[in-house]
Order: sequence, then structure tokens, then C-alpha cells
Amino acid sequence: MLALFYGVPVLDMVRLAFSDATLVRPPEDYSFKAMGVLLRDPALPQVIGTTLLFTAINVVALQVVGLAIALTIVRGEARGLRGMTAFRTLVLAAWVVPGIANGLIWQMLFDEAPYGTLNSLLAYGGLGPVAWLSDPQMALVSAVIANLWQGTAFSMIVFYAARRGIDPVLYDVAALDGAGPWRIFRSITLPLLRTAIAVNTVLVTVQTLNTFDSILALTGGGPGRATEVLALFTFNTVFQNLDLAGGSVLALLLFAISMALAALVHGWRGRGAA
Amino acid sequence: MTGGGRAARIGDLASYVALGLLAVFFATPFIWLTSLALRTPAEIYLGAARLIPEAPTLGNFARILSDPAFLIYLWNGLKLSALGGALAVALAIPAAYACSRLDFRRKQAVLIGILAVQMISPLVILVPLYRWMGALDLLNLDASVVAIYGALGMPLAVWLLKVAFDAVPLEIEEAAIVDGANRFQVLTRITLPLARPGLASAFILAMVMNWSQFLVPFILLERDADWPISVAIFNFAGAVSASTTQLLAAACLVAVMPAVLVFVLLQRMIVSALIAGAVKG
Repeated sequence: MLALFYGVPVLDMVRLAFSDATLVRPPEDYSFKAMGVLLRDPALPQVIGTTLLFTAINVVALQVVGLAIALTIVRGEARGLRGMTAFRTLVLAAWVVPGIANGLIWQMLFDEAPYGTLNSLLAYGGLGPVAWLSDPQMALVSAVIANLWQGTAFSMIVFYAARRGIDPVLYDVAALDGAGPWRIFRSITLPLLRTAIAVNTVLVTVQTLNTFDSILALTGGGPGRATEVLALFTFNTVFQNLDLAGGSVLALLLFAISMALAALVHGWRGRGAA
Repeated sequence: MTGGGRAARIGDLASYVALGLLAVFFATPFIWLTSLALRTPAEIYLGAARLIPEAPTLGNFARILSDPAFLIYLWNGLKLSALGGALAVALAIPAAYACSRLDFRRKQAVLIGILAVQMISPLVILVPLYRWMGALDLLNLDASVVAIYGALGMPLAVWLLKVAFDAVPLEIEEAAIVDGANRFQVLTRITLPLARPGLASAFILAMVMNWSQFLVPFILLERDADWPISVAIFNFAGAVSASTTQLLAAACLVAVMPAVLVFVLLQRMIVSALIAGAVKG
């Protein structure tokens, strides 16, 4: 019995690890040629650049907003303010919207016709129409906004859990010592959330790197290649250009980045436990 | 608890202002989508001036839902995500139980390994998987999609279930063993019933993730009639023009609502399971 309960998960893990290891191994008709062609592809530097920019902005914005919401909710709950659960529910509701639907919904909001949502709202304020999706730089901003709408909930939950795990006595002592809110945040909350922030940074980075379905539905990677991130580029290479070899190289690249980041998490956790 | 000093009350006000602004940001897409879905084609062109339509109509929903293909897409989505979620939980139960109750070497490494697997994009494994399944004649089968959903959902389920099993007191299990139950009986008769909220949360979360899944069915299912809703609305969006925006909005709303409703109704249970998992993780 012991062996059974030990064996099943370990076997399953071996199976998973095994499948992952072999599944990313390139197909047989693969040579360095495909890799060379791909690496010389003039689109690649641009895609990588877009990916870095998109990921970096999102990772910072998602966490700042998530942290702000989490801390405000914890404060509101401690003060007995109403509506905190309702707000949390709203943020979570955006989280469970399917990525494709997310892209389609924001596409309607960003509609550039005069009757489009945001543009018609801006017109009320006397502001000119914004080329949300057809201007290359604006399109990237729009993609970030859509991703922020959907992704914030994850960071919020992580930080909410971590903040509630902090011993309240610390805050009582700080209040007795007459520390102001900013000082409390800097000297207690931020240092004690450091592990959570580190782990969350990596998780959010990986998630953002792998995001492509919402961008696919929002802009399709355009205009031009302005919003084509690595994951979407991989998808397009395989399923639009039917280039399995090239797609495998890109998938391998994506896999390597994800695993490097996963190793980072492991390092952090190991240090935290020691 | 309300009351306190003036500074505290100013803080309350600031909290409400900040959350209020964010609430506008998070609510706008839902409100707008609903507004569009209730409009007649003529009112679509009126933009924000008609946030609340003058002639609200349920005709868009009626048109969407009377299309038999659309109902099939919804049913496919439900079927695939429920079976995939159930498979993920079923696979996760033994693994999570072992990680929770048995002391074996490198247990921490196994748990981290599970987490690492979670970080791999389906995009990475799907390219070779598609070739394999093509070679084995497994394309266009619901079972293939369910199997992949099971594998994708398992890591998170293991973590959530481990936390849920950890919360079941060891003494109860020991008492059952003294009474002559074997490990399997302890698991099925004692631990699983006691960990029901955790099981339910893991299942619902896996199911909601599957409902959102686009890539797996898009690639593995080639026949129109097999598609779940997530793939169907993407295809539908390619076919709409400005004059059918209201139909697309209605379709999106129908596609989004099941997941959102389930989540909102069960959010207390799911959030506490997630928080417990996040604290331990």
C-alpha cells in the first residue's frame, strides 16, 4: 500500500517529466538549418524586443496594481469598510474571462470608429479620437491595458494572502512607536513581502510570456508586427506558415526561458527555507 | 470597527476613491459588453450616448441561442472542461495524498517539480503533441483533448489538494487504521469526504481554466461540430462586421457568463482554497 501511494505520483511525475523532455525534442527532419534560418529572420529581433517590452511593462504594472489593491482591501477589511468582497469579486471576475473573449471584448472597447466605446467617451471630454489599435505604439499600450484588466487578480490574491500572513503584532508595535503609514509600509510590509514579490515576479513573468490568445483576438499581432510577442510569433509560425521546424525552435526558446525562470524560483525558495 | 481618528477617516475615503476608480476600470468592459448585447443594430452606431439602450432587445441572445451550432459549442465547452477537470482532480488525488501523508525523500523536489511543469506553456508541448497524435490517429477525439486538459490541470490540483489534505487531522485517520481500515479505505471513506471543499475548489478551478482554453481544442479538433465555445467565438469574430457587433457582444457574454457566474457564486470557497495554497506555496 505504501509503495502504491508512493509509486503512483512518482511514476506520474516521471511520465510528465519524460513527456516534457521528449516532446520538446525537435522532430527528425530537423537540422541546424532551420535554426539558422530562423535566427537570421529579420522579424525575430523585433519580436524579441516587443516581447521584452510587453512583459516588462506588464510585470511591473500587474504587481504594482495588484499590491495596491491587496493592501487597500486588507486595510478596508481591518477598518470594517463595506464593499471589499464585492470589489475583490469584480477583479476576480475579469480573471476568469477566457483569453480569446478578453481580446474580443477589448477590441470592441477600442473600436476606432466614432461610435467606439472609448473614443465616444473621450469625445464627451472634447478629446480627439485615439488610434487605439492602428497606431503601432498605441496598440502595444492597448494590449497592456487588456492584459492588466485580466491579469491583476492573480497578483492580488498572492499579495493578499502574503499580507494576511504577516503577524499583526508588528503593526501594533509600529503604531505604538508612532510610525506613519509610509514608514510602516517601507519598514514592515515591503520587507516581509519580499519573498512573495520575488516568487510572484517569476510566476507573472512566465504567464505574461506565454500570453498570446488575448493578443491574437485583439490585434492579431498587428499593426505590422507591433504587438507580435514571442508566443504569438510561435503560434503564427506553426499554424499560419505551417513551419513546424521553425516553430519548434521558437517553442524551445520559450521553454528555455520559462525553465530558467522556474529555476530562479527554486533558488529563492531554497534560500528562504535555509 | 469604523470610527477612530480623523486621519483614519481620511484614509477610508482615500481607499474608497482608489477602489472606486479601479472598479470603474474593471467593470467597464462588462457593462459595455452587456450594453452592446442589448442594442439594436441602429443603436450600435450611437456609441456612448446610448449606454442604456432606448429600445433594449433580447433579440441578439435569441438569435445566438436559437442557432443549434451555438448550443453545440456551449455543450462541447461544458463537456470538455468538466471531464478535463474531473480527470485532473482524479490524477491529483493520489499524488497529493502521498505528498501530504507520506514522508519520502525529495518530497520538496517533487512538489517544486510539479510547479515547474505548470510553467510550461501548452504552446511548447502542443507542437510535438500534434504530430504524435496525428501519427497515432488521435486527432479530432474528445478523449485526446480531455487527456491534455487533465495533464495541464493536474499540477495546480495537486497543490490545492495537498493543502486540503494537510488540514485533515491525522488522528482521525489513525483511529480508522486502528479500526482495521487500510490506506485505500482511509482515503476514500475518511480523507476525501473531509476534504470536500478542497476537492470542489480544485475541480472548479480546473474547469474554469479549461473553459478558457483556446489553443488545445483549436489545434486538436479540426471539425466545426467538435469545437468548444472558446474556439467558436474566435472564428465567429472573424466573420462579423460593424453591423453585427451586437451579435458578437451577445455571443461573448454567453461565452463568458458561465465561468464568471460559477466563480462569483463559489468565490468564498475558491478564494480561501487559493489563499491557503498561496501561503503554503
